[in-house]
This record gives sequence, structure tokens and C-alpha cells, in this order.
Amino acid sequence: MAQLKYKLLPENSAGGILPLNVAIVDYADIQQCGLTMPQACQIVADNVDGPTAINIMDLTAVTTTSDGIMVPSAIRAMAASDRGKIHPEFGYIPMAEIEHSEALIQKEPHLRQWDINYPGRRLFRGPDVADKPVPVHNVVITGRACNNNSGTEMMHLVTMGEILMPYIGQHVIASGEGKLLTGMSGEHLSVGIGMTTAEKFGRVFSTYRYRAGDTAHGSGAQAKTLKRDIPCIVASKATHAGFVIAALKAGMVPGRDIGCSPVNLAIARAMHLPIDYDNITPRAWLELESVGFSREYLETPVPKLTEAEVLEHADEILPGVDNPQLHTIDELVQTCWAEVKA
Amino acid sequence: MRLMHTKLPDFIRRIREASVKNTPDMKLEIKGMENVQSAKLQSLRTGRIVNAVEEMAVSEGVDHMEILIRPRMPETMHTVIIKGYDKDGKAKKAIVETVDMLVPTEELDLFDCEEVIDRRPKMTVYSKI
Repeated sequence: MAQLKYKLLPENSAGGILPLNVAIVDYADIQQCGLTMPQACQIVADNVDGPTAINIMDLTAVTTTSDGIMVPSAIRAMAASDRGKIHPEFGYIPMAEIEHSEALIQKEPHLRQWDINYPGRRLFRGPDVADKPVPVHNVVITGRACNNNSGTEMMHLVTMGEILMPYIGQHVIASGEGKLLTGMSGEHLSVGIGMTTAEKFGRVFSTYRYRAGDTAHGSGAQAKTLKRDIPCIVASKATHAGFVIAALKAGMVPGRDIGCSPVNLAIARAMHLPIDYDNITPRAWLELESVGFSREYLETPVPKLTEAEVLEHADEILPGVDNPQLHTIDELVQTCWAEVKA
Repeated sequence: MRLMHTKLPDFIRRIREASVKNTPDMKLEIKGMENVQSAKLQSLRTGRIVNAVEEMAVSEGVDHMEILIRPRMPETMHTVIIKGYDKDGKAKKAIVETVDMLVPTEELDLFDCEEVIDRRPKMTVYSKI
């Protein structure tokens, strides 16, 4: 009998910061079992009691982070389950495939990374608006479980606990390559989450909203408090830096092509790569200045670092995550097997 | 006069009457309408709910009942009015805001049930038509 593999971060694990279970299933394993994506989600739901966020990840695809960095994998579908149930209307949604075209890349300049770094891969980010029964967020809900922002922000709707799992950390879990950080999100990550790029069917917004250089939060000095005290599981800073450097080497300019998040700015500054200061909006500057990323700070000369030096000193260069604790994947993630009934 | 939409007090009254129609001692609690002051409710659905209440009241082993009215959409967008009054009770100023609210789906109320009969029609995603 076939067995479906899935990776599980159990509720209350990772030092107690997980308010619900998080399960990650490899799309290739689903195909190997001859299952559809909804069937695979139901099998996971049948095997994990309690509220669970389920993401199906495709390691042959490509996606973008909210601040515009391309990563070689993608969430293909997300679900929320509770005590074996997936709500038939609100519990599951697939992500939309974004077709490659020159017109699209003209509108979304950060996608120039696609042909340079990840040619030929299929692109998925958020769901098609036509698939969304909930007209507000890119969210699925069943019982107590809520999987939001296209699978990167999970909530328990009774205890009201919340966890942020930004995409690159999930890529580490799915690929089995790299290490993970846990901690409180902190002020820099809180500000950075708002520094988006404008995308069709994006992870958070379905339509072209806040371009590179702008902020989706638009809340001045308050932006740093929005996610500051929410626990997170993210990629190690060296792993994160690797993907940002790949984007910068592909010609991406923070504030112009990719988001002006503190992490993108910090790496560009350290490597003496261009930043489009004049394209950053006044309201984005307000938020950046509130965490010390003023134009004056960014333009202050610093020694130029190589790619290897940035990776070696990533923990000092990349801001974000309070009280970070470094983990191997195995310390946080269990590999589980579920029986596939004929 | 029969209306296509039922007045809120009639909706509540008809549910209460249905619970005791064949079971005079039936205890009934209605939850979820506490803050609704006035509303018109679908008459056809009201009739179906009234029939369901009667049916539940005479079901074997049922001693008392709850009617739980929950939002069908688990994420809803709300208008928030921040309103200030002067000492005479005259409205001086209002600030209008919006907030999205995410709530658990009905599974939370159904986990402990031995039997669930779901008679809701499927919701239509109009953009799919």
C-alpha cells in the first residue's frame, strides 16, 4: 500500500511557539502516490488531529517572496484542517500558475530574475481571485485552523495564537537544505513584510497594489510594532542572504525592482550594490527610519564585502528576528507517513 | 400578509413556537443574534429552519436545544464607527473605519455531534459562472 510522506511541525512545538500544527507535503510525493492535491490534503487531515495548516510545495517550480526575491520552489495549494475535516468551501485553495510573458515581466520587473536564475520553471504565488470564496485575504479556514497570506501566516482562531512562516523558511523545510531560525519577528521583519512588489495574484494582494519602493503597511512608526511580537520560523540568515544575493546579482535594485525591506537594503549596502533611494516613497522612508534605516545611514560608507563575506557574516548584516535560535531542520520538523487507502 | 422576507422578531418567535409545538417542555437557547436589532430574513429559509426546529425537538433523546447563528463566511469585513457625543447626548463627530474579522468555521460547533445533517446549498462563487 502506498504511503504519502509529509513533514510536520506539531502544535506547541519549537519551544511552544507553534499555535497549531503545520504540515508540508511535497508535490512530487503526491504525484508518486497518484493523488490530487485536495486528496493529499485530506489524507494529512485524517492523520493529524487538531488544527493544522497544510501547504503543498513543488520543488520544481518557482515563487517570489513578498519583497520580490525569487526562490526555486512554490506553494501549489494550501489547506486548513481540524479534527480530520477540511471545510468544503473555505478549507482549501490552489495557487494560480502565472504564465511567462514579456508583457508580464515589463509590468513586474522583479521577474527578470526568472529567466536569469530559474529559467523554465513554472511560477506560482497566490490564488486566482476567481477561485477565492473569501473575498478578502488569501486565506483558508476550517474550524480553529487558519492558513493565511497564501500559506505564510497561520493562526489558531480560538486561542488566537499566530505564527509567521515567511516563504524561504518553508523552502528550507521542503528542500531539506539549510537551517532554521526561531524567535520573535522583531521590528525589522515587521517593517520588511510591508515592503512588497506589485504582482498579479500575489501572495498577499491579488492585484497590482504596492510597488517596489512603497509600503503596504503605510502606518509610519507603528509599522515596526505590527508583527514585532509574533513568533516566527524563518530560514537562517545565511540561507536567506544567498537568495537575496542571487537576486541582486541578477540586476535587481532594492526600491526599484525588489522591495526596499531592511534585509534587501542591508545586503545591497554591504556589497556596494545600487539602491534606488529616490524611488522609495516618503511613507516607506518613515517606516524604514523608525528602525534606523534612514537614507543617511544607508549612504554612510562601509567596507565593501564579497558574496562569501556577506554569507559568513549574515547574522550581523541581516536585521530581523529577536532572540533568534538556530536549529537544524530535524530539530523542528518530523517526517511522517500516511497510508493511502485505495 | 406573507412577505418574501421575514421580520426579525417574527423569525425569533416562529423558532421559539416551533420548539414547543409538539414538545411543550422543550428548552431552547438562541445564540448569535444578540446584537442584531432589526433585520429581514429569507422567508423560505425561515420556513425550513422552523421545520428543522420542530424536527429536532421531537428527535429521540433530545432534551434541550440550541440555535447557533454564525456567519457563513469565516472572514467578514466590518465598518467600525467611532462616535463621540456631547454632554446632552448629541452626536458630535464620527470617524468611520474598516476591519476584517476571521472567525472559526462551524466545525467548532459540530465536533461533539453524533450526527450532522447539512442541508445548506453550496455557496456560489459568481466569478466562476
